[in-house]
Amino acid sequence: MKETPLATDEEDRALVERCLDDERDAAAALVDRYEQRLFNVALRMLGNVQDAEDVVQTVFFNVFHKLRSYDPRFKFFSWIYRMAVNESLNTLKRRKPMVALEDDLGILASGGGADGATEAEDRVGKALQSLKPDDRAVVVLKHFMSFSYEEIGEVLGIPVQTVKSRLFTARERLRVALDEGVRSDADS
Amino acid sequence: MLTRDQVELIQQEIDGANTPEASAALRSLLEQNPEARAYAAELRRLSGAFARVGERQSPPSLRQSILNALPQPAASRGGIVAWVGQRLNLVGELLEGAIMNKKSLLIGSAAVAVVIVAAGLITGFPPIGGSSGTIGGVEKATRYHGHEMTDADISLKNPEIQALFQNDQVLRLVQSDAFHQLMASDAFRTVMATDAFNKIMQSDAFRQIMASDAFRSLSASDAFRQLNNTAAYRTLQAQDAFRNLNQADAMRQLNQNAAYQQLQAIDAFRTVMATDAFRQVMANDAFRQIMAQDAFRQILANDAFRSILANDAFRSILATDAFRTLSAAEAFRTLSQSQALSQDFMREAASQQVSAQAKN
Repeated sequence: MKETPLATDEEDRALVERCLDDERDAAAALVDRYEQRLFNVALRMLGNVQDAEDVVQTVFFNVFHKLRSYDPRFKFFSWIYRMAVNESLNTLKRRKPMVALEDDLGILASGGGADGATEAEDRVGKALQSLKPDDRAVVVLKHFMSFSYEEIGEVLGIPVQTVKSRLFTARERLRVALDEGVRSDADS
Repeated sequence: MLTRDQVELIQQEIDGANTPEASAALRSLLEQNPEARAYAAELRRLSGAFARVGERQSPPSLRQSILNALPQPAASRGGIVAWVGQRLNLVGELLEGAIMNKKSLLIGSAAVAVVIVAAGLITGFPPIGGSSGTIGGVEKATRYHGHEMTDADISLKNPEIQALFQNDQVLRLVQSDAFHQLMASDAFRTVMATDAFNKIMQSDAFRQIMASDAFRSLSASDAFRQLNNTAAYRTLQAQDAFRNLNQADAMRQLNQNAAYQQLQAIDAFRTVMATDAFRQVMANDAFRQIMAQDAFRQILANDAFRSILANDAFRSILATDAFRTLSAAEAFRTLSQSQALSQDFMREAASQQVSAQAKN
C-alpha cells in the first residue's frame, strides 16, 4: 500500500500491453496489484465493506472493458485510482439519505468491530465520513495511500494547490470531528 | 494568527513535502512561535491517528470474484478485452447506475422474466367482464369459467387477433392444460392482484418494452428459452439470493451461490447475455425505468411471483414453440398497447378452450 505508484508505472504499462495481447496472467497480475489498494480506497471513502467490494469489481470490469482506450501517455495508476474514486463518489450519490446515515453510524463497525477493527479505526472512520466526499478523497489518498500532492492531483484531476487547500480544509474538520468523537466516547 | 504560508509550511512538513530549506525555515518558526508549535502538534496527532489505522484486508472472495469474471481460455473469443467488453456492453455501460455488473445482469435477467410473465398475463385470463378490464386483469382475477362465455365474447372483429388464433401453435397453447393451470393457479392470481405488478403493467415503460423489437427478438430466442428451463436458473430464482438482489450484500450471496456458479458455465446463459437483443433490451430507456421502479423490486421479492417462476406449467409454456410464435407476433405486440385488444385476445382464448373442452 505504501509503495510509490510512480515506481511501478512501467510494470503497469507492461501488464497492460500483455492484457491487450490477451494474456490472462497479465490481467490477473493487474488484479493482484490493485485489488487490495482499491478496496481500501473504496472502503475509506464509503465506510462499508459490501459497497467497497462492489466498487472494486465495477472498476475492474471497467478497466478491462476500456483497456484499449487507455492512453499510455498517462499513468495507469492515476487512471485506475480515478475510476475507484469516481465510482465511490457515484455510490455515495446513489445512497439514500437513510442508508447513508445508517452506514455512517455503523462505519467500519460492521466490518470492523466484529472482525478486529480497532477503536482508532472506528474513530477515524467516523471522522472521515464527516468530510465532504471530495475532501475525503484527498485525505484517503494522502493518509491511506501515501500519495504525494502531485499524485493526488493527477488522480483527481485537480491542481496541486487545490489538493493542499482541500487537505487543509479537511484536516480542520477532522480535528474537530476526532475531538468530538473522543468526547462522545467519554460521555457514553 | 498563523499566516497562510506558515500553515502551508507546517502541513507540507507533516506530509513530507518540504524541501530541506523549507524544513529549516519551519524549525526556526517553531522555535519562535508557540501557536505554530501547537498547530504542528495538532497535525501530528491527526496524522498519527491515521497512521494507527492499518490496511484492511479485502474479503477473500473479492479477488476470486474478479478473476472468475475473466474469461476461461476455452470460452475466450477474441481475448480478455473483447470478452469483457462484450459482457460489459450488455449491461455495464447501459446500467451505469447499477451497483455491480454481475448483479445488474441478473437483475436484468429477472426483469426480462418479469416481462415474460407479464406477457402471459397480458392476455388477461381469466375473462374480464364489462369494461373494467385492465392489463393484468386485477379486478377480475377470478378463476376461469369457460361456460360463462357468450357469443358476443367470441365474435371477434379484430383481424389481428383472429390471425393469431389461426396459428395452430397459438391455438394449442391457449387450449393447453398448462396454460389453463397457470391462469388458474393461486400464485398467478395473487401476483395479478398486487399493486406492484399492476404499477408495472400499467406503466408506459412496460408497454414500450413490450412493443420493442429487441424484446420480441429476445423472448423468441432459443437461448432464452433454454435458459429459462435450466435447472440452475430455476434454482437460483427460487432462492433468497435472487430475492435479495437489491440488497447490499447480494454480490456476496451470489458468489457463494452454487446455482449461480453453475449458471455462469451454461452456454445458454452466456448466449443470452451476448445477444444483440439482450443488449438492446438492457439499453432501452423503458426497461431501465421498469428496473428503477419500487414496484419492480417488490415484484422480485414477491413470494407469489417467485412461485410463478418456479411453476412447471409456466415454464412449460415458455418452452413451447407456440409461446415463441405468440410473443414474436406483431399482433401480440399490439396487444400490449391496448386493453381492448388484450381483452379480445383473452376472450377468444377462453372460447377456444371451451371449444376444446367440448370436443373432448
